[in-house]
Amino acid sequence: MHPLEQLRDDALREIAAARDEKSLEGVRVEYLGKSGSISEWGERMKTLGKEERPVVGKLLNQARKAVTAALDQRAGKVRADKESDALASIDVSLPGTPHNTGSLHPLHQMHERGIQIFRRMGFALAEGPDIETEWYCFDALNTPPDHPARNEQDTFYLPDGRLLRTHTSTVQIRAMESAPPPIRVIASGAAYRRDELDATHSPQFHQIEGLYVDENVSVADLKGELEFFMRELFGADSEVQFRPHFFPFTEPSLEVYVRSKALKGGEQWIEVAGCGIVHPAVFEAVNKARGDNAYDPEKWSGYAFGLGMDRLAMILFEIPDIRLFSQNDLRFLKQFA
Amino acid sequence: MKFSVNWLREFVDLPKNPEDIAELLTRAGIETKNIETRGANIDNVIVSQITASSRHPDADRLTVCEVDDGGGTKRQIVCGATNYKVGDKVPLALPGAKLPNGTEIRKSKLRGVESEGMLCSPIELGLGEDASGLLILSPDARVGAPIADLFPADTILDVEVTPNRADLLSHFGLAREIAALSGSSFRAERSEVEESRRKPQGKATGSLDYARDDGLVTIAATRECPFFSLRKIDNVKVGPSPQWLRAKIESVGVRSINNIVDISNFVMLELGQPTHAFDADKLNGGINVRLARDGEKFLALDRKTYSLNPDNCVIADQKRAVGIGGVMGGEETGVTDLTKNILLEAAYFLPASIRRTARALNLQSDASYRFERGVDPDTILRASQRAAELMGEIAGGTPAKEIHVAGELPADPADVSLSYEKCSRVIGIAIDPKTVDEILTRFGLRKTAGTNQSATWKIPSYRRDLQRDVDLIEEVLRSYGIDKIPGRTRGRFMPTSAADSSHDVETLFLRHRLTGSGLSEVRTSKLISRSAMASDKALELRNPLSEDHVALRPNLISGLLEVLERNIRVGAESVSIFEIGRAFIPPSGKEERHLGILLWGNVESAPNWRSQTRRSLDLFDLKSALKCVIPNLSFRPGQFPDFALAVDICSADERIGFGGQLVASKSSAPSPVLVAELNADRFLDRVASAKKFQELDRYPSITRDIAMIVPEKLTHVEILRAIQEPAEPLLESVQLFDLFEIGKGVTATASGKSLAYRLTYRAKNRTLTNEEVATVHAKIRERLKLELGATLRE
Repeated sequence: MHPLEQLRDDALREIAAARDEKSLEGVRVEYLGKSGSISEWGERMKTLGKEERPVVGKLLNQARKAVTAALDQRAGKVRADKESDALASIDVSLPGTPHNTGSLHPLHQMHERGIQIFRRMGFALAEGPDIETEWYCFDALNTPPDHPARNEQDTFYLPDGRLLRTHTSTVQIRAMESAPPPIRVIASGAAYRRDELDATHSPQFHQIEGLYVDENVSVADLKGELEFFMRELFGADSEVQFRPHFFPFTEPSLEVYVRSKALKGGEQWIEVAGCGIVHPAVFEAVNKARGDNAYDPEKWSGYAFGLGMDRLAMILFEIPDIRLFSQNDLRFLKQFA
Repeated sequence: MKFSVNWLREFVDLPKNPEDIAELLTRAGIETKNIETRGANIDNVIVSQITASSRHPDADRLTVCEVDDGGGTKRQIVCGATNYKVGDKVPLALPGAKLPNGTEIRKSKLRGVESEGMLCSPIELGLGEDASGLLILSPDARVGAPIADLFPADTILDVEVTPNRADLLSHFGLAREIAALSGSSFRAERSEVEESRRKPQGKATGSLDYARDDGLVTIAATRECPFFSLRKIDNVKVGPSPQWLRAKIESVGVRSINNIVDISNFVMLELGQPTHAFDADKLNGGINVRLARDGEKFLALDRKTYSLNPDNCVIADQKRAVGIGGVMGGEETGVTDLTKNILLEAAYFLPASIRRTARALNLQSDASYRFERGVDPDTILRASQRAAELMGEIAGGTPAKEIHVAGELPADPADVSLSYEKCSRVIGIAIDPKTVDEILTRFGLRKTAGTNQSATWKIPSYRRDLQRDVDLIEEVLRSYGIDKIPGRTRGRFMPTSAADSSHDVETLFLRHRLTGSGLSEVRTSKLISRSAMASDKALELRNPLSEDHVALRPNLISGLLEVLERNIRVGAESVSIFEIGRAFIPPSGKEERHLGILLWGNVESAPNWRSQTRRSLDLFDLKSALKCVIPNLSFRPGQFPDFALAVDICSADERIGFGGQLVASKSSAPSPVLVAELNADRFLDRVASAKKFQELDRYPSITRDIAMIVPEKLTHVEILRAIQEPAEPLLESVQLFDLFEIGKGVTATASGKSLAYRLTYRAKNRTLTNEEVATVHAKIRERLKLELGATLRE
């Protein structure tokens, strides 16, 4: 073995044994420094014969390359080890840096879910005020004075005779007054009932109302579209049942019941909405207000529906008391963040 | 209304299983809310009669009874009740009986006295809730008979009848509906079985004569009361009802009073027509149906005195009102144990009038409930006849041969035409005209004329809710079965409405950004309490129900403060909330969409290991919360009550709201409470305006800092203006990065404040040189010195 090869192997051994950058630098100076033992061979070569010189030159080159590469590699490794050693003491189980996160109210989230589905079904939003007249709340909705369903006892009145709407169906009338058919709208908002506040009743509650007026709108349309909505909202496993009922402003009138795993485990039919085919008397009232015959009951028909959102949110989120919605305890709100 | 299945069975064959009856009704829109099993189906409980009673020798509260059990022997029973007298018939549980509550009866000794069984109260037999004393049975009960004979097993359906279906408020009516729905035959007359259980006591009534205009009945209020009838029944014996009658009315929750009143109630429950029995000897002359006089006082059967007005229709004799028509009879002329002769009223009242009266007087009765929904004119005299017969049979009375009538029965309902095509169109599938005819006929409608396309139908007198073709279509749908209609989806696309845009802007730019900055959305009541109203003017309700909800909120801040208080009470250290919703601006209640924000507490919602900041939230946190939703936001000092520090909040020079720090007395919070209330309608359209791309910077910037001391009064905005005006094209942005107030009184000259700004310079088209920047920067420094008198620090 040529002494250069011996030096190279010694250097490599020392490099492999080096534990820090300082000892690596020592190795470098010892072998590759100005007067390092490998570098010295550069001078010594000049004294060699013509035949020997290229052989030694080649060996010298190889030794330098091998040692330099080994130094670089080892240095990289030593640095990386040092970095991870420095972090090794960090307790990765410590909590992350806290960040204040806000939350949307669960009732809003419930409304938003409903609105998103209806919008995908082609409904546009409509609006109406909370303070209404008897005409929008009752008369136009085929509930004349002294009608058993016109429950003034349960209605909040203002001193000037106006009232707080008892349902969002008022928006049906406003929507039809402002645009001729076809019309396909939903409205989301508050309604009021003269109830005492307790675990299941609130004088202010929230609804999503819907109205679709077009040619040949039938019970079959109402059924198919609300079935679609209910399965979107409560899951594909939902069963939907329609039962006849009575509302003054629809005929036929129906109540919608859903049975689904999302609703109390699917053990029972839960009433989720009221709906029906718009009563011709409602169209006639709208025509009277419009002063035209745009909503000709012989030409147009429509369906309407209303969903009680507080109740749905309570069932879906398993919220036991309606007062939690208006109390706004942050511990409650953050559960729905 | 509660229905007895046994009673219904007298008129129609029913499915054996009560659940099936309930399902049939519910699916046809007559919701059955509850099914209850009734009756004393208990072995070893019999009818006994108390023959003697004495004090228990060793217990004040107990008595020792001697009872006849019908078997010839007298039994000794120890009893704790006091509501009986010797001679009463009561249920006796014999040793070996097992009561519904699980009690097993054995021979035993009670305080040393032998007791051979137990006398029972209604609750012990599962016959009601009454636990106050023994169940006193009818005197005609046979001693020794099993108690189950008196209280046959029955099922009670609690059915919710919608307000349009007055015809279902009787056993007869519901049975008729069930027959139509199920296709089984309807027995309009009572069954033989039922008839044979009664022992006729009175004389059978022969044919009936009508007496008109004989002075006994006149109607002045013909609109409110179109028809009125009276029948005399003489020589009745008022007393307890026979067991079958009592059991029947009690099974559906009507208390037994005496045979006459019970018969009236029985007929109402059976046929749906209320009747009223007057004590004929207490009336002064003939009956006049008239409107009440203003302020007329009336003592009703509920022993309350009502003050009437001409909106109320009364039944009056020649001296005074003796009944509020269709609502309640009078106490003074009611039937008592001493009553001998009866005048039996059966009439028709205008539903709207009854409704108004019942509401105005807050007096609802079983009668008013039916009259305000509309009774069947064809049943009025039938009910009168039925009651008269029963008063003959049961109370031994003699009904007069004639019935006195006044007025006219309401006309029959108008015929309704139905096009078969429309029926199919509204339901959504083709329904065979034959099927339509069959269904409508089952519901009692009669076709009077018809073609292939349509038919005209005569409506039965009890179905006044069937007024237009859609009403008939609903009957077809109900009977045909909604489940058989396949659902269809088609739909139509609607263009985005104003409400759509406003909803989206609200969601994207307010809700999402505010929650992103760590605020939680709350929803407070739009109805506010009396105490909350004290501080704010608000639009009040005319008829509030409780002091908690008396007015419409004029702002959101009050509600947010209540949320703050609640959260402080439950231990919150920090509250950052917002609400978006309607406020009602007095006096008119104009509805505005407001955004309210409340911040309180520590910057960090809880102590944490990363930060030692325990700074309280302040005005500048409020500003930064607002800044994330409102463009060109500025605060200008303002003055409002209840604010220690008030600002007007402006966007692009328009005032859009106000805010600031509340005075400490407004809340129990120990550190500053920051609130803001903005009219969202004023700035939302601006928030949402479309944005345009601006080129990204391609050349590096150079920054220079300026530190200065200025007089305390000088504001940030004034310093900014001095830096930025006149505009230097190379100056890109200015940032305040340090501020501290120099303590007053340290030295006279050093008062003021020290601020440090970082100025960023950049050119759009080249890399700036230090020399270029130095020139501009020096200019700005000069301005600060000259214009503001600032002391610049090197």
